[in-house]
Amino acid sequence: MKKIKGDFMTIPKIPGRIETIKKFKESRGKIAAIFPIHYPRALFRAYNILPVEVWGPTGADTSYSTAYLQPYVCSIAQSALAYLLTGDLDITDIVVAPHTCDSLQGLGSILLDFIKPKQSVITIYYPRDKRDVDVEYLANEFKSVGEQLSKITGIKLTDKKLKEAIIREEEADDLLKQLYENKVYLDYNDTEFYKIIRAREYLPAEEFTIIANEALQNKTEKEKTGIPIIVTGIVPEPKGLLKVINELNGRIVADDFACCGRKLYVKGKSSNPYKYMAESLIFAVPDSSRENSINDRANYLVNLAKKYGAKGVLIYEVKFCEMELYYIPQVRERLKEEGLNSVIIEVDINDSLPHQTITRLEAFLEVIE
Amino acid sequence: MSLISEIKYRLTVDVVGPSYLKWERRKMTKAIETFKPKNDYSAPPLKISAWTKELISKHYFRGRYVEGHEPVAWVTSGGPVEPLKALGYFVIYPENHAALSGARHAQLELMGEAEDAGYSRDICSYARTDIGAALSGKTPVGKLPKPDLLVACSNICQTVLYWYRVLEKHFNVPLVIIDTPFVYDEAPPHVIEYVQKQLENELIPTAERVAKKSFSEKKFKQVVQYSKEASELWLEVLNTGKNRPTPISIFDQFIHMAPIVEMRGDAITIDYYGAMLKELNERVKNGIGAINNEKKRLLWDNLPIWYKLRSFAEDLGKYGVTLPASTYTYAWGELAPMIDIDRGMESMARIYTYPILNRSTGHKLDTMRSMVKDFSMDGVILHSDRSCKPYSIGQMSQRSKLMDEFGVPALLLEADHNDPRAFSDEQAAQRMESFIEMLGVDDE
Repeated sequence: MKKIKGDFMTIPKIPGRIETIKKFKESRGKIAAIFPIHYPRALFRAYNILPVEVWGPTGADTSYSTAYLQPYVCSIAQSALAYLLTGDLDITDIVVAPHTCDSLQGLGSILLDFIKPKQSVITIYYPRDKRDVDVEYLANEFKSVGEQLSKITGIKLTDKKLKEAIIREEEADDLLKQLYENKVYLDYNDTEFYKIIRAREYLPAEEFTIIANEALQNKTEKEKTGIPIIVTGIVPEPKGLLKVINELNGRIVADDFACCGRKLYVKGKSSNPYKYMAESLIFAVPDSSRENSINDRANYLVNLAKKYGAKGVLIYEVKFCEMELYYIPQVRERLKEEGLNSVIIEVDINDSLPHQTITRLEAFLEVIE
Repeated sequence: MSLISEIKYRLTVDVVGPSYLKWERRKMTKAIETFKPKNDYSAPPLKISAWTKELISKHYFRGRYVEGHEPVAWVTSGGPVEPLKALGYFVIYPENHAALSGARHAQLELMGEAEDAGYSRDICSYARTDIGAALSGKTPVGKLPKPDLLVACSNICQTVLYWYRVLEKHFNVPLVIIDTPFVYDEAPPHVIEYVQKQLENELIPTAERVAKKSFSEKKFKQVVQYSKEASELWLEVLNTGKNRPTPISIFDQFIHMAPIVEMRGDAITIDYYGAMLKELNERVKNGIGAINNEKKRLLWDNLPIWYKLRSFAEDLGKYGVTLPASTYTYAWGELAPMIDIDRGMESMARIYTYPILNRSTGHKLDTMRSMVKDFSMDGVILHSDRSCKPYSIGQMSQRSKLMDEFGVPALLLEADHNDPRAFSDEQAAQRMESFIEMLGVDDE
């Protein structure tokens, strides 16, 4: 694996999204553009479909999406739709719209009813609790998604093949966990670290595994310096955020980003592969999109902060993200009880990081130092 | 609970309070009978309004004293209330309370309480109103009873689930989530099965445990029967709007829908809507409209703008424009024919999965098109409600389709159902005037 020179050290060379997509298509695979947040990755791969997550992207021309979505819909949904409408997703064969929130649910419905893109549109509804009945439902929902994928690809999937795909994805997920667990010792700045982590959004598991293994070699004896914080929110965009945190002597020791830390899935227990995937998703890290309780989310953040010695929590939200906003007051109260300061910053992922935000970050880091 | 306390409670909520409210109702009825509208376009108010006020006041009056005497459940407006009623729960609908606060212009103070506690102005204004009420204890209804149980159903939005998570933490009481996956065309069998299992295996056992009572199938069927009859009557009430002139406008419907939301499953609700239907049929017979000189008829889409009900009615009324129906009020009636007493929970699961808000944007467009035809509408006002994304997303396409493909004039009006700070009076008035002009009416 070739290496490129980073700011302070070397990071593995990570192929870009387009390069990855083209390569996968050459091998007669199909591409699914996946809107946030959760989906059964192994199921798609078992049908020889590469899921590529669409978290925005930043810089999309949202004048296209505003013909369909009101201005009080978040920039993630706006950008995803704009990206689709401008033809930037033409390379994909399928668009997957999980029912993550009211906005993405609405977007999925508009796609099916009005926009009708050339890609096949698949929606996935994942449950809002973690009871037996929810696991059973989600397993059935995954089966239903599988039936749609079978129609699109013509592939008849066996449980054996699906189990193999699950194992492959779990190997990659295990390495993702290891990267997080070793983050404080890895010789990467946060921009570099998240470049590696976020490659999981689009790289095939087998390629991510190679990169993650290589990245884990870059471990040092001593913990990196800087004011340790954890970050919670949806997505570390715009990218300037990570650089600014490091420049201000801050250091992310762990995160609870929907696109990163909340994707640390657990292993299922069932011998039925669909139920196994359902368990894996439902019992993963507490998440607002799955409506986990406030206590569950607060406890998770407190434990995360304690485990990695964080001195404060940056609550970094996308403007209009209702599912996140409801949790903030009570979660902050709990953090405060535990002696953890927190600050809330709201962004539009299409804007650059304003100076006002940088000043707030600076003040926050000074306070917790 | 001592016997004396129980007797005192019963006397208060069953004798003293109701007697006073009945007397108030008589006074109001007389006032309505002699009421002379201040302008020539407003028709006389509905006499049923006095009963509506009595019913709602009685409900909240009971709520002031109910704690410790009856189990209390807070339930989302589209939530499955019948099993709870069968178990003797006193039910509060926080959304109704928020709407009532909005209509009485008490919402800003309550939202301020929530915002001071850190709740963003970007979350639903109903939620902010009620969270503010829960945090401060302030309410325009005197006192809201604390819940023993929370029930949140996702059939109206995901937002209510986050909101109820906040309440769960605040009140430290059990929360039952009834998750109803979104429906595109038809709900697949595994979805109905999922909802049914939640009702049977999650809601009922938890509600039994909290109420310390056993669920009675017989009582449940009785409640479902009452629900069905009341919903059917409500649908008939709404369908009187098909007459020209319409005897009822959405401004009346928004007020008189409270019992079908709040008291679904009670015998009294059947009597109430029966009486309302009778009054409306009388109006139809006598050619009395919701406004005098009805010229144009518009369909309303989405929640009301609670703090603007009266002024909107007046502003439109002076042009001879009336709004005989809305997709919103219809939601509590359109599913009535689907209620099948003999199919029990399976029928409940289906009903609670199919509300308009839990269905696709294309289905909503179809509903609007049917209503435009059935109610002989001249146009549609789509309230783009900042606080209700599931209802509002899709409206831009729906408006285009209505106009371009079906030739129905349609206006997208930006507002918020409960937060006047997200509403521009001047801008709305100008847009409304241009729209009315486009429809070819003036205020002559």
